[in-house]
Amino acid sequence: MATIDAAGLSTRELNIRLKDLAAKGEEITVLNPNARHNLGVAIFNRCKIRFEGSVGYFAASMLDGPEVVIEGNAGWALGENMMAGKISVSKNAGASVGSTMRGGELFVGGDAGARAGISMKGGVLIVAGNTGFLTGFMMQKGRIIICGDAGEALGDSMYEGTIYVGGSIGSLGADATTEEISEEELLDVLAALRGHGIENKRSFTKVVSAKKLYHYDTLERLEKLAL
Amino acid sequence: MCGLSGILYKRAWSEGSFHVGHDLVMMLEPMTHRGKDSSGVTIMGEQIDGDLVIRIWTENVQDIPSVAARSEETVRHAGGVMRSTSTLDQFLRLVVNYEGEVADLADALIKVPGVAIHSIGTTSEVIKDIGTPAMMDVKHGVGEILGTHGIGHVRMATESRVDVNHAHPFWAYPFPDITVVHNGQLTNYHKLKRMYEDQGHHFQTGNDSEIIAVYLAGKLAEGQGLKQALRSSLDDLDGTFTYLVATKDGLGYAKDQWSAKPLVTMETDDVIAIASEEISLRGVFAEEIERIEPQNSEVMTWLL
Repeated sequence: MATIDAAGLSTRELNIRLKDLAAKGEEITVLNPNARHNLGVAIFNRCKIRFEGSVGYFAASMLDGPEVVIEGNAGWALGENMMAGKISVSKNAGASVGSTMRGGELFVGGDAGARAGISMKGGVLIVAGNTGFLTGFMMQKGRIIICGDAGEALGDSMYEGTIYVGGSIGSLGADATTEEISEEELLDVLAALRGHGIENKRSFTKVVSAKKLYHYDTLERLEKLAL
Repeated sequence: MCGLSGILYKRAWSEGSFHVGHDLVMMLEPMTHRGKDSSGVTIMGEQIDGDLVIRIWTENVQDIPSVAARSEETVRHAGGVMRSTSTLDQFLRLVVNYEGEVADLADALIKVPGVAIHSIGTTSEVIKDIGTPAMMDVKHGVGEILGTHGIGHVRMATESRVDVNHAHPFWAYPFPDITVVHNGQLTNYHKLKRMYEDQGHHFQTGNDSEIIAVYLAGKLAEGQGLKQALRSSLDDLDGTFTYLVATKDGLGYAKDQWSAKPLVTMETDDVIAIASEEISLRGVFAEEIERIEPQNSEVMTWLL
C-alpha cells in the first residue's frame, strides 16, 4: 500500500512515481488530485490505483492493465485509448469518456457528457446515469450500456458495436437503428450491471448500425476498372 | 483555446461585498494551459448614482496626457462632470457624473484619436491586458477589487492578433455594464459583422468574440430579455462557443449545439461559480462539491 499526495508534485513527477509503484504491483492511493489533467496516464502494469477526489482531462488514458477508481468527477476523455483494465468513476464524467478505447471496462457512476464512447474499438463502457449528445459517434466495436437516457444523435455514423439504452433516446444519429434484443444479450447486459450493484434496470433498447451508409469494398476504383 | 470563469455571490452590494477580483484571479491562474497570451476580467460592484466608470486604452504611447485631456474635454462637452482621471501605462480610468445617453458619450469618445473604449459601466469595469492573470493582478491590482459578481478570461488567440484590445471581456457597446467572454470560434462572423455595420454598430477590433457582445446589445435594444437573447444566439451564431455574459443584475451562459466547448458549474447557498474546467472552480471551492456540466444548446441566467 502506498499513498502519494499529488499536491506539491508536478504532473510529470506524479506520473513517474505512479509508474514506479505500478511496476511493483502496489496498491496506490493518490490524495488531492484537485481535478488536474493527465493524471495516471500510460500505466501498463496490473495494480490498483485510487484517486481520492476529482480528476481533470485524460485521466487514466492509455491504460493497459490497472484497476483505477476515482472518487469524484472526471473531466473530458477519461480512459482515452484504454487497452485493458478497469476504470470506475463514482460521480460524473465529462465529454468523450472512453474515447477510442480498445478493451477493458469503464464504469461511470453518474452521468457522462457528449460524445461518450466516441470511436470505441472494443471493451465495454457502462454509464449508470445519462449520456449526452453524439454518444457512440463513429463506434467501431465494443458495447456501451446506458442505464439512464441517451442524448440526441445516438450512435451517429456507427460502423459496428452495440449500444444498449435503459431510458429514453433523444434521437438516433445518422445510420443508427434499433434492433430486437435477444434473451442471451439481455442476460449479458444485466450481468455486467449486477457487477456494479445495479439491479433495477430490466429492459433495454438495442441500437446498432443500419449499414446503409456502407459504400466501400476492398478494391480501389482503378483496381475495379482493371477487372 | 481560451478559458472562462465567472462567479456570483447571491447578495446585493448593500448586503456585503466580496473579493470577486481575488476569486477571479484564483480561478483563472490554474487555467493558463488554456491560454496565456492575454487575461481580462469584468468586476461588478457598487453602483454610485449617476456615476460612470469609463476604461480607455490608448495606442498613443507618446502623449498619454493629451489623450486624457481630450477625453475629459469630450466628456464635458457631452454634458458630463469629471470626478477623477487615473492613468496606468496606456490605460485611462475616468469616473464621470453623467445623466445623458451612454451611447452619445461613447460615440463622442471613440472619435478622440487613439482611444479604444474597454468598458463603460455604472457598476462595473473591464480590466484586460497582455500576459497571465498573475501578471494582470500585479499590474492592475485586480485582487483588491471588491464586488458582487464578475467574469474572467484567459486567451489563446486563434484567429485575430494578440494585443490589449483583442483580449476579452468585450463590452456590448454602447450598453453600460454588459460584457462577454468567449471560448470558441464563430464561423459567420464576417457576415454578421457586415450586417451590424450596415445598421450603424461600432466594432473596435477584428476579433470574432466581439460580435457576441454586439449581438446581445442589439437584442437587448430590441427589448428582448437576457435569457431570450441568449437563446436566440444559439440559432443566430454559427460556430463553436461557450460564452459568459455579465450584466448589472447577474450572469448568464450559452453553450453551442455541438457541446464543443466545455463548461462546468458549482453552486452553494451563497455563491455560484462557472468555469471552462473543474480545476478553475477549485480556485474557490477547495472541497469536493456537486459539479454540473451543462449540455449542448443550453442557456442559463442567474440574477442577484
